[in-house]
Amino acid sequence: MDAIAPAELPDLATLRREAVSTAAARPPGLYWQPAAVDPVLLQVIGGAMKTAASEMAELLFRMAYSSIMRESQDIGAGILDRFGRQLCESDSTPMHCGSLPAYVRGIEKKHAGNYRPGDIVLHNHPYFGASHAPDYGILIPIFFEDVHVGFAGCTGHMVDIGGAHPGFSVDVPDVYAEGKLINAAKIYREGERNDALWDHIIENVRTPEANAGDIEAMIACCRLGVRRFTELLDRYGLDIVMSACDSWLDYAETRMRRRIREIPDGIYEAPGGWLEDDGKNFGVPLPIATRVVVDGEDIYVDLSGSSPEVETGFNCPFEGSVLPTVNFAIRTLLLDEAGDGADVPQNDGIFRPVKVYAPEGSIFNPSFPRGCEARFAQINRIPDQILQAFAAAMPTRVTAGNSASVSAIAYAGSRIDDPSRYWVLIEVNEGSYGARWGKDGIDAIDNLMANTRNNPIEEMEFSAPVVCERYELRDEAPAAGKWRGGLGSVKRWRFLAETSIGSTGDHRSGDPPCGLFGGVDGRPGAMIHNPGRTDEADLPAKVSGYRLAAGDTLEIVGICGAGMGDPLEREPADVAADVANGLVGRADAEADYGVIVDADGIADRPATEALRRQRRDSQRR
Amino acid sequence: MYQIGIDVGGTFTDFVLHNDETGKTRIHKLPSTPEDPSRAAIAGIEALSAREGFDPAQLNRVVHGTTIATNIILQRNGARVGLITTEGFRDILHIGRKKRPLNFSNYQDVPRQTAPLVPRRLRLTVPERIRAPDGAVEVPLDEDAARRALRRLAGEGVDAIAVAFLFAFLNPDHENRVRELAAEECPDVFVTCSHDVSPLHREYERFSTTALNAYVGPATATYTARFSESLSGLGVRSDLRLMTSAGGLIGSRVAMQRPVSLLASGPVGALIKGIDVGRSIGHPGVITLDVGGTSADVGVARDGALHLKHVLDTRIGDYDAMVPMVDVNSIGAGGGSIAIVDEAGMFQVGPRSAGAVPGPACYGLGGAEPTVTDALVFLGWFRPETLESSGIVIDPALAEQAIRSAIAEPLGLSLEDAALGIYRIACRHMIDAIRLGSVSKGYDPRDFVLVAFGGAGAAFAAEIARELGIPEAVVPPHPGVGAAAGLLSTDIRYDFMASHWADLPEADLAAVAEKYRMMAARARRELAGDGFTDEAVTVAFHADCRYKGQGYELGVAVPADFGDGWKEAVAEAFHRAHERHYLRRFADATVQIVNLRAVGVGRIAAPGEEFPGRGTAAESAGSEGAGSEDTGSEDTGSEPEEARIGVRAAIFPAGDGWVRANAAVYRRARLTPGAVVGGPAIVEQEDTTIVVPPDFRATADRHGNLAIAERR
Repeated sequence: MDAIAPAELPDLATLRREAVSTAAARPPGLYWQPAAVDPVLLQVIGGAMKTAASEMAELLFRMAYSSIMRESQDIGAGILDRFGRQLCESDSTPMHCGSLPAYVRGIEKKHAGNYRPGDIVLHNHPYFGASHAPDYGILIPIFFEDVHVGFAGCTGHMVDIGGAHPGFSVDVPDVYAEGKLINAAKIYREGERNDALWDHIIENVRTPEANAGDIEAMIACCRLGVRRFTELLDRYGLDIVMSACDSWLDYAETRMRRRIREIPDGIYEAPGGWLEDDGKNFGVPLPIATRVVVDGEDIYVDLSGSSPEVETGFNCPFEGSVLPTVNFAIRTLLLDEAGDGADVPQNDGIFRPVKVYAPEGSIFNPSFPRGCEARFAQINRIPDQILQAFAAAMPTRVTAGNSASVSAIAYAGSRIDDPSRYWVLIEVNEGSYGARWGKDGIDAIDNLMANTRNNPIEEMEFSAPVVCERYELRDEAPAAGKWRGGLGSVKRWRFLAETSIGSTGDHRSGDPPCGLFGGVDGRPGAMIHNPGRTDEADLPAKVSGYRLAAGDTLEIVGICGAGMGDPLEREPADVAADVANGLVGRADAEADYGVIVDADGIADRPATEALRRQRRDSQRR
Repeated sequence: MYQIGIDVGGTFTDFVLHNDETGKTRIHKLPSTPEDPSRAAIAGIEALSAREGFDPAQLNRVVHGTTIATNIILQRNGARVGLITTEGFRDILHIGRKKRPLNFSNYQDVPRQTAPLVPRRLRLTVPERIRAPDGAVEVPLDEDAARRALRRLAGEGVDAIAVAFLFAFLNPDHENRVRELAAEECPDVFVTCSHDVSPLHREYERFSTTALNAYVGPATATYTARFSESLSGLGVRSDLRLMTSAGGLIGSRVAMQRPVSLLASGPVGALIKGIDVGRSIGHPGVITLDVGGTSADVGVARDGALHLKHVLDTRIGDYDAMVPMVDVNSIGAGGGSIAIVDEAGMFQVGPRSAGAVPGPACYGLGGAEPTVTDALVFLGWFRPETLESSGIVIDPALAEQAIRSAIAEPLGLSLEDAALGIYRIACRHMIDAIRLGSVSKGYDPRDFVLVAFGGAGAAFAAEIARELGIPEAVVPPHPGVGAAAGLLSTDIRYDFMASHWADLPEADLAAVAEKYRMMAARARRELAGDGFTDEAVTVAFHADCRYKGQGYELGVAVPADFGDGWKEAVAEAFHRAHERHYLRRFADATVQIVNLRAVGVGRIAAPGEEFPGRGTAAESAGSEGAGSEDTGSEDTGSEPEEARIGVRAAIFPAGDGWVRANAAVYRRARLTPGAVVGGPAIVEQEDTTIVVPPDFRATADRHGNLAIAERR
């Protein structure tokens, strides 16, 4: 499969016309009277909105049932106005929060202007804004003095939604095989639950108790959001609250645009990349391409040239997944929370300057009814590509290549106490970061758009017939550089009973994380069935309904991020520390970094200087 | 006999001395001595003993609140720690829960990696493995490997060793055996085991807690021993007691083994004092607001009792510590919080603080940015002379200048609006913190009384109470030494925990009862060792439960009878707790027990307190319930002319705007019980300034509190 020829790339005029933003279009008419809000009240209302969103998320993951929601915190929560503009969002997994506006747009297609107090909408349709089908969204319209003023919303990853295989399905023909689709279903009408619909939803999944508990928790979360927003409206009135929210959106937009303006206009192109396969046609890599066009105060991310859509579930929902990802990438690059972006709220204003173009029928903008559940591995390449695109322009803000994938594995089997029922557990395994300017990459940490927590081993072994044999940093040395790349982890499970697994991911074999400014490339990951046994097998990152027998083991090896800068410039003491910590061998220190570490573990400065000089001379020749 | 509470803070060491015979209370303050905090503590005892004419041998109780362990973490100058853990799991402390602290950041640091409690070279593994669910040994401990690891760590010069094995909370044998081997291989090293420090599931959090214990262990032990010796040198015979983050006291011996329980204990004393104050006026529900220079601590106690945070919410600095911690939250909003207009025109206050140096602009020490204190000075609430005793001269002109150039002019606001804006935004931060601590836990602030502590708490109390609908704000007699005073009201408390996973309907009641009984026996043994008679000891049982399938437990009190109705009672208690927290009950769902807890308490009668304008309140306090019929709002209506020391123009909030009014200024020491001060007024005392806005009035009660409430 070849990349689409450059001639087909859209010009700026096309991008201006056709690129799409998460931000809502300018509302045609307001349902409030704009009012002047003094700067103090603005703070008061901003603080209350932020607190409301964090309260919503706290309630959700504490009350939730499935480990993917409560331990991994694979959730998002926020409050939106009637136009679907996000007013505030919780500080949970970026992918979830950024997707809420698309969910609202999705349910609006069915119910616009047709909500009643007490309605609760459940939605997961990936072709109408859902992030992917397992990410259920609950949206409750908020009414104030009989006027529909907004939505409280949250999303959460259900551990199973029916479909071909427990948990995940990659090798499936279409979106119907991935699980039950729920397109903006009102599970409550005016306060009355639709029991037949509820039962239908709960009874058609493999984990009915967990799903029921999780949906209840999501409803409780949104009701809390409704209550908090209504309290604010009661206290200050609609005009003031909405005007204050408007100011906060404008504020975030201003902060974003200021940063964008600092980047010279032009086209910034990432080196092309490759995905391993589509989960069915193994050995057939898929191209990805990313260009960023800076146009004054606007940024266009153009994904033209990426693979056409594939025949499996390895496509990315455009509105619910691609747009939030691009928003995440640009915000993180330009308004880093650890730096000058700490106090900028994540709302509709952040989204306004950012627009995305992906040709219809491509892997990043598939056509209905293509499957699109397994989208995280390729989606995480977008922020990584954007960082590479800006490497020369903003060397102190970008990272070297990151793991930029995800390894999500669903484990399932029959319950011992009742073989007619399933146990299903989902683990989102971590990757690592590439090196940063002045800093090493972060080891064994979640990937970019994902920011979930692992399941405690001491929780997993109580909940499922599994035993963890190993959970450590990888044995191989990290990718060398003036600043080294982050190390991935290795985790090995042994199964006490027959277990079926489904996984989505990309090991980055053949296209590892990209070294920057002379730094070395990162290392691919792996998934190994029965390592060390005669029947040892290297598995692809994507398997569907793969069987493991009792006594088998599975080793998940995380991807290592790339290095940044010439390894010969790395501070010798840092190399010696890596040697002492067992991360870099003494021989590797000499070979990769030109550092001689003496018997006491100290870097021998004169010997190191001499060796490095000699190495540089020979490089020059 | 005498009792003394000594609370060491960053700037000052506070003393509260109580004379049991006369019921009189004396307070004292000395600058802290950070290089050895016990120096100021001992100096204070000597000074008080000279001033009050008693012999330190007459001290039958010395109670100590110390930040020594907390500071070791914050300053990162703890022990060189080695870890011995299960083979295959060397990097649990490094990987943690693999979540990034920040969502939107490529350049963040992950402290567990960049500043590890135990560097990787000192994390060694040995073959062994315990298995769920019953603690069976899957791989026996390789003792030779353990000895080799211990020797290697000793060779690396470690001061402390943490022993942390997977599932050790189900079976501590391997950890105990390594401790025995350590006694042979490296007898001088501080050794701590994970099942001792925190016998709960979730390996990363337990390992981190154990590593923290090791990290602060040697220095805390040295400090405690030295302090105890100095006390002995003064002739003090009673054991030193130390405040824990669980809001109880422990003896010095336990503190030396489990110093991790001292972490984050600093803010607890004020909450305990607040509960005391609430009880004396018949108010079991208390929210405390302790506002200092750089932060505000918010504590919430419902039913007059301390509540603990969930074990996954307990952190100290950048590290996870799974120990019982009272639900007190700190936010970066204090007198020193800086107000700015940011690059996009937004008016913000904090979290940046001017600290002690350069301090608020009005101190004239070089600070040019306006702070909350500058706003309070501009509003006319803080008199320039207020801080004279501490050598600081306030220049209101500098406050005005800073507010004008940094806030008023850029925003086009009047100076009054700008200053009041700083105040209101700081209020809002505190209100949000109180809401997160109360409303989001299912409590209605209107059922609480607000108790203000710290130098600045009393300036915010009325406004915050109004905003939250809290009917009354109370300023105790000595709000500036709230934590030290709280020490003398704190019970001796031992927390024991045991992991026990069971679906409630199937739970083996006999086994559960046995675990509780063992924990209760340990608690009674410890308390008997502290000299408590059986009558003075209570042991309460709690269980952490969840609906089967959930991951976050809620703690509920459980009956101690273990009779027929026990399971139903526990289930109902859990359903009710779930309903309060989450507004839902799932009556059909299975309740699962995860942890059992026993809390042994040796009761201490709170001493009475002397307060301004009156000799002592000893006759009214101490006997439980004495104050319950007295709400402190006795309104004899007398304007306290004799306490009035002047009038000054000040600015107060009025609706969304402000009003300039002549406020009467009172000296608190001259207010007698029953005195009513109508707002606008300002009441001054050495350690705080109390603001009574228009529409409020403040009433002095017979316990020495000043209760501020809206005029009805």
